[in-house]
Amino acid sequence: MSEDIESQMRAALRAVAPREEFTQKLVANVTSRPAAPRRPRRFAAGWRPLAWWFSASLAASVVLAVGVHQHLQQQRLQQSGLEARREVLEALRVTSQKLNLAYEAVKSQSTSLTDEQSGA
Amino acid sequence: MNDDSTDPLDEQLAKARRGERAALTLLVQTHQRSIYSLALRMLGTRDLAEDLTQEVFMQMNGNLSAIDSNRHLGFWLRQVTSNRAIDQLRRRARVQLTSLDEEPQLFSAEEASDPLLQRHLRALLADLSPPARAVLLLRYQEDLDPVEIARTLDMPLNTVKSHLKRSLESMREKTASVMRPMRCEGSSYE
Amino acid sequence: MRQCISLWLFALLAPALALAAPNPKLAIPSFSALAQKATESVTITLDPGLLGLAAKFLDSNDPQEAATQEVLKGLQGIYVRSYTFDKDSVYQQSDIDAVRSQLAAPGWNRLVETRSRKTHADVDIYIMVDHNQAVGLALIASEPRQFTIVNIVGAIDLDKLHKLEGQFGVPKLDIDASKGTQAPSK
Repeated sequence: MSEDIESQMRAALRAVAPREEFTQKLVANVTSRPAAPRRPRRFAAGWRPLAWWFSASLAASVVLAVGVHQHLQQQRLQQSGLEARREVLEALRVTSQKLNLAYEAVKSQSTSLTDEQSGA
Repeated sequence: MNDDSTDPLDEQLAKARRGERAALTLLVQTHQRSIYSLALRMLGTRDLAEDLTQEVFMQMNGNLSAIDSNRHLGFWLRQVTSNRAIDQLRRRARVQLTSLDEEPQLFSAEEASDPLLQRHLRALLADLSPPARAVLLLRYQEDLDPVEIARTLDMPLNTVKSHLKRSLESMREKTASVMRPMRCEGSSYE
Repeated sequence: MRQCISLWLFALLAPALALAAPNPKLAIPSFSALAQKATESVTITLDPGLLGLAAKFLDSNDPQEAATQEVLKGLQGIYVRSYTFDKDSVYQQSDIDAVRSQLAAPGWNRLVETRSRKTHADVDIYIMVDHNQAVGLALIASEPRQFTIVNIVGAIDLDKLHKLEGQFGVPKLDIDASKGTQAPSK
C-alpha cells in the first residue's frame, strides 16, 4: 500500500514544463547578463620571466577583484530589482483583490436595487 | 551515485563558466523544468513560480565559478529554490493552494485521468508547512533520498523522516476509502 | 441607503476641492503587536527609488507587466499592510482608526464605501485630488479575520488603472458619471 501511494505521488509530482514564452524569456535574460568572472589562466611554463609573471598575476588579481566587486554589485542590483518587481506585482494583486470586494458588494447591491424597482 | 566525470553536462558547465552562451542555455534548459515545478508547487501560482525561477537562474549565473559539476549545480539550484520559496511563504500573505483550479499544470498531465488523486494531493500540499512541503517535493518530485533532502534544506535527518512519514500517513488516510473499492471492483472511482 | 460613488464622480468634485497642499502619503502604524498575532502578513513599502528599479525589471513584452509599467509612471510610492488572523476579532476597528482619521483631513475624498452583509467585508476607497489630478489613493478593507491598508502616492492615472482590468483580476469599476451611486448599508 505504501509503495503504491509513493509511486502514485511520484507520478503525480513529475516535473511540469513552464510556458514556452517564459522559457524563452528566461534563457534570454540569463544569457544576456555577464557570465561569472573567469578564473585567471595559467601561463605556459618557461615562456615568460618569473618577474613578469609575478606582476602580471598581481595585476590580474586586482582586475579580478574589481571585476568581482562590480559583478557582485550588479548581481545585488539585479536581485533588488527582481525583488522590487515582485513586490509591485504583489501590491497590485492585493489592491485589485480588495477593489474586487468593493465591486462585488456594489454589484450585488445594484442587482438587488434593480430587482426591487422592477418589482415595485 | 553517478560518476561526475562521466556527466556530459560537466563540460557544458565548464563552457558556461567561460561565458559560452550556448552552454549556459543548455544548462538552463536542462534544469528549468525541475526548478520551475518545485517553485510552482511550493508557491502555488504560476506568476510567483516564474519569478522565483528567474531569480534562481540569474543567481546561478553569478555563482557558476563556485559550482564544481552538473550534479553540484542540481543540488545548488534545488537548495536555493527551496529555501527562497520557504522564506517567501513565511513572509508573504498565504498562497491559497486550495484555489489550484486556476493552475491546471500543477500536477503531471499524465495523472489527469485521476482527478481524485490530484484533489487529495492538492489538499495534502495545502495543509503542509513550507518546510514539510519542500521535503515532500524533494522526495517525490526530485527523487532525493532523506539524507540528500536533509543536506539540501539544512534540516535534521529525523525531521525529514518525520515529515515524510506524516505526509504518507495523511495521504494514505485520504486515499484509503478510494483504493479499497478500486481493488475489489477493479472499476474507476465513479 | 448608501450607494457606491463612481470613479468619475471625483472629476465633478475636483474643482470644489480645497487645493491646499495635503499629504497623500499616510502615516501607517507599524502594527507590530498585531503582526505577531497574524498567521500571514504582507508588508510592502516601495518608495520612488524602488518603484523605478522595479519598472526596469518589468517585461514590456508581457501585456500584464507592460500595463503595470504604465501605471507605475508618475507614482511616488506604494504601501501595503495586510494581516490575516486565524480567528475573528483579533484586531479592533480602533487599531485602524489611526489611519482612518488621517483620511478625514482636507484633500481626501471618499470615493467608495461598501458594507457587505454577505462577505462581512467593509471596503473604503479614498482619493486625493490636486489640480484635477489624482495624487493619492487609500484603501481600507476590513473583514472578520483580515484587514488591509493600501496607500498609493503619486500621479495616479485612472485611465491606466482602468486598463488593468482583466490583469491581476482588477474588476471593471463602473465609471458612468450619470449615476450617483453610494455604498450599500450594513
